[in-house]
Amino acid sequence: MAEKDSILLEVTQCRKSFPGVTAFNKVDFDLDRGEIHCVVGENGAGKSTFIKMLSGALHPDEGTIKIEGKEYFSLTPALAHQLGIQTIYQELPLALDLTVAENIFIGNWPSNKLGVIDYTKLFREAKSLLDNLKIDLDVEAIVRTLNVPQKQSVQIARAMASEAKIFILDEPTAAYSSSEISNLLSLIKKCAANGVGVIYISHHLEEVFEIHDRITVLRDGNKVASHKKNEVSHEQIIREMVGRDVSKFYTREKVEIDYSKVIEFQNFSDGSMVLDVNFTVNKGEILGFAGMVGSGRTELTRLIFGADKRISGDIIIEGRHVSIDNPKEAINEGFAYLTEDRQKTGLILGHSVEWNIMLAHLNNSKGVYINEKRESASVRHFIETLDIKTPSIKQIIKNLSGGNQQKVVLAKWLYANANIVIFDEPTRGIDIGSKEEIYKAMVDLAKHGKYIVMISSDMPELIAMCDRIVVMTKGKITKVLEKEQISEENILTYSIGGTI
Amino acid sequence: MKNIFTQNKKITNWMNRGNKSVLYLLVIIIFAILVMSLLDSKFFTARNLLNILNQQSTLGIATIGVTIAMISGCIDLTIGNLLASSAAVAALLLNAEVNVALVILLTCLFGLVAGFINGLIVVKTGIDTFIATLGLMSVYQGLALIIPGGNNIYLKGKLANFGTYRVAGFIPIPIFYFLTVALIAYFVMRFLRFGRRLYSIGGNPETAFLAGINLSRNKIAAYAISGLLASFTSLIVISRIGQSQPAMGVAYPLEAIAAAVIGGVKLSGGSGTIPGVFLGVILLGLIRNSLNILRVQSFYQYVMLGVVIIIAVTLSNIGSNKKL
Repeated sequence: MAEKDSILLEVTQCRKSFPGVTAFNKVDFDLDRGEIHCVVGENGAGKSTFIKMLSGALHPDEGTIKIEGKEYFSLTPALAHQLGIQTIYQELPLALDLTVAENIFIGNWPSNKLGVIDYTKLFREAKSLLDNLKIDLDVEAIVRTLNVPQKQSVQIARAMASEAKIFILDEPTAAYSSSEISNLLSLIKKCAANGVGVIYISHHLEEVFEIHDRITVLRDGNKVASHKKNEVSHEQIIREMVGRDVSKFYTREKVEIDYSKVIEFQNFSDGSMVLDVNFTVNKGEILGFAGMVGSGRTELTRLIFGADKRISGDIIIEGRHVSIDNPKEAINEGFAYLTEDRQKTGLILGHSVEWNIMLAHLNNSKGVYINEKRESASVRHFIETLDIKTPSIKQIIKNLSGGNQQKVVLAKWLYANANIVIFDEPTRGIDIGSKEEIYKAMVDLAKHGKYIVMISSDMPELIAMCDRIVVMTKGKITKVLEKEQISEENILTYSIGGTI
Repeated sequence: MKNIFTQNKKITNWMNRGNKSVLYLLVIIIFAILVMSLLDSKFFTARNLLNILNQQSTLGIATIGVTIAMISGCIDLTIGNLLASSAAVAALLLNAEVNVALVILLTCLFGLVAGFINGLIVVKTGIDTFIATLGLMSVYQGLALIIPGGNNIYLKGKLANFGTYRVAGFIPIPIFYFLTVALIAYFVMRFLRFGRRLYSIGGNPETAFLAGINLSRNKIAAYAISGLLASFTSLIVISRIGQSQPAMGVAYPLEAIAAAVIGGVKLSGGSGTIPGVFLGVILLGLIRNSLNILRVQSFYQYVMLGVVIIIAVTLSNIGSNKKL
């Protein structure tokens, strides 16, 4: 086979920008037949933008995508599918109530002229495909009864059956046990041995090092480096992933922390995503939570807030044990929770700015009647102090910008008299100006003696804002970094389980 | 920021509060009245208009109950058969010579408790509310037969005044019931925290939950109100027709939901206003009355009513989905 024919995919000078940010900047990338090409990078490095362009969900602004020598400017989902590009999800696109075999050959079942499915042939062919891939599954099992890793192997088998040429796997092992991971990795190797090109995206360096033929490192939408097998160490990869200029980032005002006042969180567990987590936060402190997507940070905050059932977990506020079993009790104890998805869980989109700001206060203060005059006055006060830009307090919240929506969520909690404020990805998807205003509001809260917990996947932001940073991996705290230990390198090292 | 309270903004804000469908409905209703007045002189008379209101008052009261449940994101299909069950309860009590005031109270209590149980079942099982109340609907259908032993029960004039009395000699009393219930419901949904909780739950249950709202308790309350209003309606109905019948009220759930949706309530919850629903009920009555006056045969009336419902909802959707 000539050298040229072995190239499956070639991406040239590909660029994609969103308002205010270049998510993917003139990247070259190629993939050979039978190759496993791993892509690593921090959250926000451009990995998902890349996948979305390959699967046709996003169109590049510039550059070309060449598949088996044929050039495309952009792909559509249908075209990507037709060209044999398959994105493997953990479970989404399977027909849950059909058998494994039916799923593998979905829409393309062997049948006679009348359209009656030939099940004997179907099961036989499915069986031989699974045997070939060394997948140990009953072809007649109903997919709903399978666990997540098994469903994923069904998907991979289906992709093989449809003669897909390029597999894209994005964080395929989230919440997998180690034996499940090694099964998946050997299955992927098997597929590659059959000539499939695999793009494997993960922040678990162990996996990446076990499986890769090549590693490409992305940072801020740029390609930093590409390494062949055995040419690079864990340490070097981490060094390449970090390296953003933090000093140029937001500089916050220093706030005196009152170390005599402390809230202790002890033994938080939910049995799967959060495992025996202990930490403390001091009055006036901004405590950061770092970790990769799926490390259990959001699950932890939901446990603390009483939104999910916990197996264990105690909270001691300034020496006083409190019991929190639902959000109402959490709010009564002074907790506030700005969720990571403000549209789905932070706001009621169809209602007004005023309505949303009043929401938590109204349900956690005494009274039956809504005193509209007094409420409106308070709402206006928060709109002014947080500088929320809205034509009117009755404006429907849907019509506000992301930054202003986030400020409305913050106003909602301030109005409810929050003392302990948990920010989960507070600046995701909002413009730079609003980001700084949110930062300023957070520092103001600290100044007023509030306890602040901040989860963020934006590392420069976390480093700029936090007094200490807790690093989580797979539901556990791997390290609490003191102010002087905080660096991107340290955070990454503890959050991706690399070894230094 | 300074010009928040210009007149223009006030109108926009008023529209934003879900009053767009109110406006559209008013236009449609006025148009319908104009057309009908031109077509037939019998239409625009005090007698006929009061007749429409009177006809619609029973459906209207039940619809307001269903609306309250729907705003919190819950469908209640039980009201029809629950109405028949509580009619039987009321009729039996009346024939047992129980004091009329007590009968009214006990019947309402029956509906309240039944609605409470409906809510409890919906919340505890977590089944989709449409399916859960579909099942319960059959339970009440059974009760409506079991309680009176499958028979119609004649009231022999007892309770006659409750539904047929005419205020000042010509205004039927059910109109006052309807208006009173609508006003109270408007007040509760617009000015009380309870109403706002229901809107919030229907608008986004997850956000409401995280804001400390007890979803279960409020949904149960909404179902209890719906049950209460259904049984109150049953009292008017049996008073009018002088008997309870096991099969009465079967058309109520769908008509009530249709009227609510015409009034701007969404099946998914979180929106719709009581004034809108009030007008939705009136519009349905107006159409039925018009078809009667125009002597459209009742078989064809069903077909036309269905068509009109679809057109009305489509129109009001166009209105409420429009961006500012």
